[in-house]
Amino acid sequence: MESLHEASTSSAARASETGYSEDVSREIVDICADAGISLVASLPDDWIAQTIARFEQDDRFTHVPMNREESAIGLCSGAFLSGTGSVALMGASGLMTLVYAITKINYTYEIPVFIMITRRGSFDDGAKFHVSNGLYLDDVVNAINLPCTVIGSRAELPMIAEAYHHSRKISRPTVAVLPKKLLQGKI
Amino acid sequence: MNYHECLAWIASRWTDELVVTSAGTSSEIWYEETGDTERVFYLEASMSLSTCFAAGIAFGTPNQNVWAFSGDGAFVMNAGMLTVERQMNLPNLKHFMVSNRVYGSTSNVPLPGRADNDYAAIARGFGIERVYSFGGMNELQAKFEEAVMEPGYSFIHLEVDPLDYRGGSPPMDGPEVKFRFGRHVEKVTGKNVFTAPLPEVKR
Repeated sequence: MESLHEASTSSAARASETGYSEDVSREIVDICADAGISLVASLPDDWIAQTIARFEQDDRFTHVPMNREESAIGLCSGAFLSGTGSVALMGASGLMTLVYAITKINYTYEIPVFIMITRRGSFDDGAKFHVSNGLYLDDVVNAINLPCTVIGSRAELPMIAEAYHHSRKISRPTVAVLPKKLLQGKI
Repeated sequence: MNYHECLAWIASRWTDELVVTSAGTSSEIWYEETGDTERVFYLEASMSLSTCFAAGIAFGTPNQNVWAFSGDGAFVMNAGMLTVERQMNLPNLKHFMVSNRVYGSTSNVPLPGRADNDYAAIARGFGIERVYSFGGMNELQAKFEEAVMEPGYSFIHLEVDPLDYRGGSPPMDGPEVKFRFGRHVEKVTGKNVFTAPLPEVKR
């Protein structure tokens, strides 16, 4: 079986073929490193396959592929208590599964966690099975008062670091949302 | 094994490890036995996430041993957590999985697969090398040193009888648990957990 590094390289190559920008992913990774993040817990979404691969292949990070999104919140919440900066990286569908973990762990104990998600279900998303995210993601985020910012262009990528630090400041989770065109390097 | 007796004995062997307990009984018994409010994170709102939480702590505190408790209720909800634990293979993490074949913190409602679930076999199936399964106190005591005190990640299945226990939660709100535990981690590791370090008090 190919190593994790080799599998990650293959995944990144496929993501490039399907139009996802290596440069944007590198920029995201650099911003996370500069912000103090060293642990990355990821769940897949093909929009962020390139970004996941960049984290995997960057020695500044320990990248942990997770079994489910709630486990990522558990891992990152524990990491906070060890003085380790972390990010839970996932698709929008993943965030939709997190109401329990966020409200019970992070809100009960006031533990910050930084989450990056894709903006699945947007008008430029061709997948019908992500329509529900376009319809309900914002309402779910608002229903649990989850501070959230959409990274609207490459010029706004530094807001990722702001969202991470804001989480620490307010002792709650925050979310940075990555649109498709951003990840493709088109905006 | 008797659940209370089992945890009480493990607590008697506890020295300087960081401990994460899970919802309900393990938190309540551990608090009753130890009264500790510094080195234990009582993760009562856990529902299958206590050992992932503990793995995060163990990852960032490689010089501290971490004991994590979960139940078989958590296990059937999130057996896949073991794939992550296997992959991380943290040498300072021990996962105690207390199996009583019921959802113990919710009036002992029976678990799915309660008669057949072979938790140690599942753990081995995920590639975990150091798997221990104890159904009696004598076995636990005889192998405790090897299973728990030696370096290396291990998964320790403790088969106990259901317990009708109502000890009550540790008397702290969530943020107090966080700050007490986090300040202890800061003290023993020298790392900053919180944005503002607690200054040394000069007497």
